[in-house]
Amino acid sequence: MFKMLNPKRFYHAVGKHKFWEFIILAVFILFFYGPLCNMIMLAFADKYEVPNVLPQVWGIKWWQYIFQQKSLVTSMIQSFIIAIITSLLSMVICIPAAYSIARFKYPARKVFMFSFLLTNAFPKLGIYTSIAVLFYKYGLMGTYPGVIIIHLINSMMFMVWLPASAFRSVHRQQEEAARDVGAGPIRTFFKVTMPMAMPGISVATLYTFLASMEEAQGTMLVGMGRIQTMPVAMYGIILDSSAVQIGAVFAILLILPSVVMIFVMRKYIGPEAIAGGFKMK
Amino acid sequence: MSKRIKQLVVAYGMVLPAFLTVMLTVAYPIALAVVRSFRDQSTGAFTFSNYTFFFTTAAQFKNLVYTLFVVVMTVAIAIFVAYLLALYLRFSHSRISRTIGALYLLPRFVPAMCAVYAMITIIRDSGLINRIGLLFGKDIHLGLMYHAQGLIVMNLWFNIPFAAMMITAGLGAIPDSIIEGARDVGAGRFKVLTSMILPLSVKDVIIAATFVWMTNVGSFTTPYLMGGNSPKMLGIALFDQFNKYLSYNRAAALSVIMFLICAVSAGVYIYSNLKDTEWEMQ
Repeated sequence: MFKMLNPKRFYHAVGKHKFWEFIILAVFILFFYGPLCNMIMLAFADKYEVPNVLPQVWGIKWWQYIFQQKSLVTSMIQSFIIAIITSLLSMVICIPAAYSIARFKYPARKVFMFSFLLTNAFPKLGIYTSIAVLFYKYGLMGTYPGVIIIHLINSMMFMVWLPASAFRSVHRQQEEAARDVGAGPIRTFFKVTMPMAMPGISVATLYTFLASMEEAQGTMLVGMGRIQTMPVAMYGIILDSSAVQIGAVFAILLILPSVVMIFVMRKYIGPEAIAGGFKMK
Repeated sequence: MSKRIKQLVVAYGMVLPAFLTVMLTVAYPIALAVVRSFRDQSTGAFTFSNYTFFFTTAAQFKNLVYTLFVVVMTVAIAIFVAYLLALYLRFSHSRISRTIGALYLLPRFVPAMCAVYAMITIIRDSGLINRIGLLFGKDIHLGLMYHAQGLIVMNLWFNIPFAAMMITAGLGAIPDSIIEGARDVGAGRFKVLTSMILPLSVKDVIIAATFVWMTNVGSFTTPYLMGGNSPKMLGIALFDQFNKYLSYNRAAALSVIMFLICAVSAGVYIYSNLKDTEWEMQ
């Protein structure tokens, strides 16, 4: 076993091709997962002073600390409320639009389609500052509706394009068959089209939810400190934290929803599904 | 005919709520911002000074050059590495390639600031790499924090998986049969790559590059947490103009400048999409 630790022996043992594959894997894991693993380790380090690579004392002291901070717990609740409202609102507004773009032919359809690119083509912070000037005027700064509008804008392109490509892949003949046996248009949509497009819709909704959970810059700007979501609280923790562990614990709490959601929806999430949200095929 | 009209009413009725939302919450504020960017903050008179400010002030111009440098480096390296990774994921069927295929999607879903924070715990002066160095008696200072290289490394962390995912999706659409066909008539690996795979995937590369470019021009979280004070990324400069100096007109002008930088790539993107005849407007 330990003979393998000698790179030369390892190279000759597994062959040239495998050797380079292992190198790729090692670099990949170290670069993309090394930082995350280190952070998980830090979250369970009660004591972690400079020359030590591993914590001197392990424990859950900092987890207890986080859950005793009332403001941090409130920020978690606020994050969830805002993310749920944003996802629901986004579904109600965007899915009909996606269906319309996918199924009907009418003048200026491409104009509608590209209008959603605007939310991603203009620099986010530019949009936020431009909106903030209006929000000041209408008293939306530091309010829930204001923050939710910001979160909604973020996900609209994805929420229209991805379901649109899902709807387009449902064969029209299947809808027609349902209509032939007497189903009305609304029933056809909910019983035939919608279930078949569900993978696309759920990935888009998941994306919207997670994007809302992690939105920070716009919430910070428009929320004015009155609306403290988890990411906004995290900025504060990172920039003036006394102990590196507080940030680590909080970051894990912030990642947790993503991990759970990805696990639940792992069947639907793949390169093809996600890529569909970024192009108009 | 009346059926057609009914259909149009339904179609527009479904698309308009979303369209109007975008117009009201994005297009309208942007239009106002463009107008504001040509106005003097105190007098309201027409002026170009909000724009010239960012090109004639040394510090501001440095920010612009700095941002372009970081973004161009990020796009170039991310697309290059992502393409290699995507080729590997598409054409290798080993266990290792499948492992990477399952693992490379997660970074897309990790909240930006968590990833940045995790990276900071590694590269800061008392971070993991420094501590491991001390074990071997070396005091390593990477000097990545508060420097362009650090920002680029972090941007690569975010954008390589994203670009690789977009390109893998494109490569997945190339059937094995046509590649085998080319190999059968004697095309070498390199020839297959340059004259088949590259042309067939160039559109996905453009899409990936466009989004990497657009998200990085206005990036905020990474430079906010890792970037230095001078020069700054434009996203931070914009935030300062708005939040610190309360000069909304200059902030508007800077947004427009950043938009124009993004528009270069958005233009390429829309052009490459319009060439697509698959579902042209009737």
